[in-house]
Amino acid sequence: MSDLINKVAELLKAPASLVQRSAEARAAASGSSVDDVLNSWLGGESITTAAPKEEAPVEDVVETVEEVKEEAPVEEVVETVEEVKEEAPVEEVVETVEELVKIKEESALTFVLSVIFVGLFTYFFGFLTTGNQATALVKESLNNTVEISNEAYIGAQIYSELNCQSCHTQNVRALIPDTQNGKVLRNKYASEAVLSNIGNIRLGPDLSTNATREPTNNKQWLTRYLNDATSVNREIPHPKYNFLNEQDMNYLVTYLLSLGEINE
Amino acid sequence: MKLKIIPKSEQDLSKFFLLIFPISLTLSLSIQFLRDAYFSFSNLLPNNQIFNYGFLDKLYNQSMFGLTTSISLMLIFSYLFSKSIGRLLTFFPLIFLTSIGIVSTEFLDVILNFVPNVKSNSLGNSTALIILKIVALSGLFLFASINLLAKKEAVIFHSAQFIFGGLLFYLISLLIINKNQVVFSDVLLTNTFYTSTHIYVTLSLIFLGIIHFLMTKTFNSILFSRTLASISFWGFLFLVPWSTAKFYYGSVLPNWLENVSIYLSFSILIPLLAFVVNYLKTIATRDSENSNEVLLKLVNFATFIFIFTNLLNIVSGFENLLPILGLTNFVNLISQGYLASMFFAIIALSYYLIPKLFGREVTFKPLDNIAISGLKIGYILLLLNNLFIGINSGYIWNAGANTGNPTIYGEGFNLAWSLIGINYSLSTFISLILFISSTFFFLSLLKAITSGNVTKVEEMVASNE
Repeated sequence: MSDLINKVAELLKAPASLVQRSAEARAAASGSSVDDVLNSWLGGESITTAAPKEEAPVEDVVETVEEVKEEAPVEEVVETVEEVKEEAPVEEVVETVEELVKIKEESALTFVLSVIFVGLFTYFFGFLTTGNQATALVKESLNNTVEISNEAYIGAQIYSELNCQSCHTQNVRALIPDTQNGKVLRNKYASEAVLSNIGNIRLGPDLSTNATREPTNNKQWLTRYLNDATSVNREIPHPKYNFLNEQDMNYLVTYLLSLGEINE
Repeated sequence: MKLKIIPKSEQDLSKFFLLIFPISLTLSLSIQFLRDAYFSFSNLLPNNQIFNYGFLDKLYNQSMFGLTTSISLMLIFSYLFSKSIGRLLTFFPLIFLTSIGIVSTEFLDVILNFVPNVKSNSLGNSTALIILKIVALSGLFLFASINLLAKKEAVIFHSAQFIFGGLLFYLISLLIINKNQVVFSDVLLTNTFYTSTHIYVTLSLIFLGIIHFLMTKTFNSILFSRTLASISFWGFLFLVPWSTAKFYYGSVLPNWLENVSIYLSFSILIPLLAFVVNYLKTIATRDSENSNEVLLKLVNFATFIFIFTNLLNIVSGFENLLPILGLTNFVNLISQGYLASMFFAIIALSYYLIPKLFGREVTFKPLDNIAISGLKIGYILLLLNNLFIGINSGYIWNAGANTGNPTIYGEGFNLAWSLIGINYSLSTFISLILFISSTFFFLSLLKAITSGNVTKVEEMVASNE
């Protein structure tokens, strides 16, 4: 037994006499032998295992030992014992170890419910409730009297399929740097096909007011630019969309020419 | 190498995900390379419906943030979750089916991009499959909850906590993109919360789940503090989902949300510090003689990238910087940072698992070292390059407006392009480095599995009796 005590004392960095007294007290309380308690503190089995021995896994002992070594709060035991060594009388050490035994029992139910609560809070409060507030801010979009033409609508879908929104936004912010892009628009149409074209990243210019700026309000210029941007400006790395057929190109240009304050 | 078609245990399932992870990573990085090439050199390359920047960008998003992320999550779930709760997984056949279902639907989503007339969002998620994904993930989350409730250990090990959180937020991100978008603000909100839950939170939790396992298990060290680990877990879980709304500062989102986002972004410093202290103190107790130095460097590097990314996320909360950084590549940079930290953690885990699962030693010969170094260099360059592009492009839009130059096609964009054009060209070469390195990584794993020296396979939990 003295070997075990020494090993535990070394592991916990506590005096052997303290370890022995704590183990004896623990053994008396749990009805097990001192050796069993010492073994459990060494990581041989969980000292807090509340389940009867016959229910404990047999073949996973090796894994459990390793897991307990990794993450079980052995370090906390060390810290607490060290703190007690400095500040508390010897008798209290026994109680502290006993308290640690109680602390180690964690409720999985509490944990699962807490995590679900955080998730639902994020979803309902962060996303859905905020969504309703944001909708109120732009509710005029819902009663928008401006109708989008069928051609422009198909053009909006082509715009989305080509993923133009990966480089262009249609989102002028109420910030000084953005105001030169045009008026802050609350959106033109309450239509899903058009909404998806808002965009997150602005690599190229914002297109909210495309139809009210030179030279992008010119159909011929726009068509030529989309077919081959280098024919207009050699330096601009805009992709070519010359693979679109003439009809689709017309739809796309019609959509782009519908973007502007005139539709707000 | 034996692979069972229908896995009988967590070990078999882990083998499957361990093998397909590098394939998926290489596929995603090859698409990234093509996408960047089509951005910088579109005039030199043949364009069509598939080979154009817009399509390839959508394909990349779905492949990287859908398929590869789901495989990463399933890999750590299948291996680490049961170990962390100290028992065999109850309902394993159903867990197997749901986890395969999730990966399959993500794969199908990648394929559906090639089918004409199938509607998908800018991240490549087709509306047809989102419900299927939600059902599969809900099932897996339910089984994970049941297993957690039936845990054998007195404590819940932190890896399991992080994995559980990752599963939940992956599910929430799917619920978010499934909501109908009616008005302008819905799109911004969806983008905001999808980016934060699906990318920032889920990838962070996958990374933390792996690191909390590796930093103790691999180096025979003892976790410094469970309290600090809990602070990291709850901190990231609470704070990070709100941290993206700040990038839409000045948009039509409610002002309180933008302000809360700014303040909570600063608060990320708390869980980050808790994690850093815990990590450094834990690693300091490692068994230096028996520690695998290559794995240690990989884990350190992953942690460095994670810290760097979080610092960028925190710093970008300054109100003066938001007009410059919002809506630019800076937002992508943070996503790439979380992605890179997760990848390096998984790469370290993969090398750790080969002896355990396949019974083969990894000796880290030149091929392995080239793969690891290439990925490290590639990701550092990628992050720095995106940082430069983000700040400079944002600054140009800002400066152009303030000096009264309309930022229309013409001088405004020419000005921006003259500053960042070279960086976009550089992106193509960085992506090439990453693609080649990931191919080497795949070959390195295959070589180790097929021709490494035979060693003892890890004994897994065999019974819940």
